[in-house]
Amino acid sequence: MSPLRRLAFALASSLSLACALPAVAAGVSADEIVVGTVSDLSGPIAMLGVPVRDGMLMRFDEANAAGGVHGRRIRLAVEDAGYDPKRAVLAARKLVQHDQAFAFIANMGTPVVMASMPIIVDAGRLHLFPFSPHRATYEPLHPLKFQNFAPYQDYMEAATRHMVRERGYQRSCLLYQDDDYGLEVMKGVEKALAGLGTELVERTSYKRGATDFSSQVARLRAARCDLVVLATVVRETVAAMSEARKIGWDVDMLVTASGYSAQTHELGGAAVEGLYGVSVLPHPYAEGANSQLAAWIERYRARFKAEPNVWSVMGYTLADLFVRTAEATGRELTPESFARTLEGMEFTRDYFGSPAYRFSANDHLGNRKGRLAQIRNGRWELITDYVE
Amino acid sequence: MLAFVQVLASGVAIGCVYGLVALSFVLIYKATETVSFMQGDLLMLGAFAALGLHAFAGWPLVVAAVAAVLGVGVLGAVLERTVLRRALGQPHLVAVLLTFGLGMMMRGGVASVPAAAQDMHRLPFAADTLAIGPLVLATSHLWVIAATVLLAGLLAAFFRHTRTGLALRACSEDARSAALMGIPVARMHTLAWALGAALAAIAGLLLAPVTFVHLNMGFIALKAFPAAVLGGLTSLPGALVAGVFLGVAEALAGLALPEGAKDFVPYVLLMAALLLFPQGLGGGRGRA
Repeated sequence: MSPLRRLAFALASSLSLACALPAVAAGVSADEIVVGTVSDLSGPIAMLGVPVRDGMLMRFDEANAAGGVHGRRIRLAVEDAGYDPKRAVLAARKLVQHDQAFAFIANMGTPVVMASMPIIVDAGRLHLFPFSPHRATYEPLHPLKFQNFAPYQDYMEAATRHMVRERGYQRSCLLYQDDDYGLEVMKGVEKALAGLGTELVERTSYKRGATDFSSQVARLRAARCDLVVLATVVRETVAAMSEARKIGWDVDMLVTASGYSAQTHELGGAAVEGLYGVSVLPHPYAEGANSQLAAWIERYRARFKAEPNVWSVMGYTLADLFVRTAEATGRELTPESFARTLEGMEFTRDYFGSPAYRFSANDHLGNRKGRLAQIRNGRWELITDYVE
Repeated sequence: MLAFVQVLASGVAIGCVYGLVALSFVLIYKATETVSFMQGDLLMLGAFAALGLHAFAGWPLVVAAVAAVLGVGVLGAVLERTVLRRALGQPHLVAVLLTFGLGMMMRGGVASVPAAAQDMHRLPFAADTLAIGPLVLATSHLWVIAATVLLAGLLAAFFRHTRTGLALRACSEDARSAALMGIPVARMHTLAWALGAALAAIAGLLLAPVTFVHLNMGFIALKAFPAAVLGGLTSLPGALVAGVFLGVAEALAGLALPEGAKDFVPYVLLMAALLLFPQGLGGGRGRA
């Protein structure tokens, strides 16, 4: 055979072979599904990345131990981008081309997500539940993009409205981080107050990394605020509460889900007692846990030699959503069939106390709500259900 | 009025930390004409060293703190002996980049310990308050102020009344003449780096109760460096005064001026001060 004829023969035979087999998606073989994640295991939000990865590993291993999803084992391929968009691009390419990931779950950090999301969806892979509050992760509607983290603006609007209405605050104020995060929260709080026919009495900001909050707290006190909404992260939450209590100002404060962390009361101690917070998923306290949760905590401890936190629960939950959707999709697993199944799924409340996640063909954001919690006796206690 | 005094006290305390870090910049600059960009990382390292020795090795807090400061001081000396010495006589940029790189290595080293990279920690200092009439002061702030006054006194005595201190001053005035007078200039350089590193570590310990111990706590050096410049870069009292000045200006601007002003007011003041006193606040007494 001449080289040209040989090539033509090879092409023809491979074509006929391809026609004979059912359509198979990248990352799905007869006995394996590859799931990718571009995580942060070494950068500034490694405190989230590590427990999220561990939670996902735990759920996938459980699925594999139970015989896999329709006979296929799930393999989690993890790449560390360290919150760096340049590394995120490389990591996403590697997972798309080399590992042939079927879907991406829980990519970590807004810069990482913004840099890697186009590569992922252009390759026709699912982009599921990234750790970024950015609207681009679910709007405009895209067949491969799904999100289940409530945006700050939506749940803070609901939480502020609930607090002001139920507890009758007259003078609401805001202490916010001077960036996208703080502004997003401000929009939500302003919207809630406008709906109640009032507005922010005082607002004051800080730069990331600020050390001292005495001037901000003095300013808020001078404005005679009776509710201070905090768009802060853990350290600033503790600093603001400590400063207020130090000068003997017993004002109520409400922090976003970024301050709802066990670290807040571990670091803050008595000073943060009474702080209100919004929870989009409860912290898994071992003490007082229901029997299923207690067993889960035991398994987690035994496996990772660490205490689980809210991020471990998050990772586990995301992996669980994936496993259950893949189960429901059936043996014929493609990104399209998975996405259409997910659009019809309803995930009811579970033993972690998570919200009900619900997707539809017109709405790829699974949850918009948070619930109110308060620090009582050195731990977060949930005080309401998910508020509308 | 009360709020004013309250905020003033916090401003002084934070200003003292700026001042201490500025002192460490100046100490090194005076002796070796090198701007060290790793002071923030040394500060972070000092706090983590104390935390590690106390919380994980189980040493008493005071012992752990002293050991951490000495340890970071020794590290400064070792770095001078092995690496930084080679930058002498090279363009200024070499030393700047060298210290920058060493700082990144320290951050990387600490970040490679998962517990350090992932969490914030607190050193178990007392978190209580002291009431003087209607005025309430955090003990952690009082500690910072007291320690700064004490350190300033000790440093002043060291530079005025000890042979080593005088020798160090001589080196920074004119290294060549000092060498001719029989002063071991190289050893003095080692000493300056050790002192500078130890001072940064002390600042880290003092900052720990205010901001907790975490990987990015060294960013405070970004505020301390302007203080050092404002102080004239060669004046120790100038650096300290400038640090307190910046801390107070920042705090009071946040209270009294419109929202957002506090972020640029210290720098406007800094530029104005440099325009009016090109030698820095402590300029006349420095090398000028």
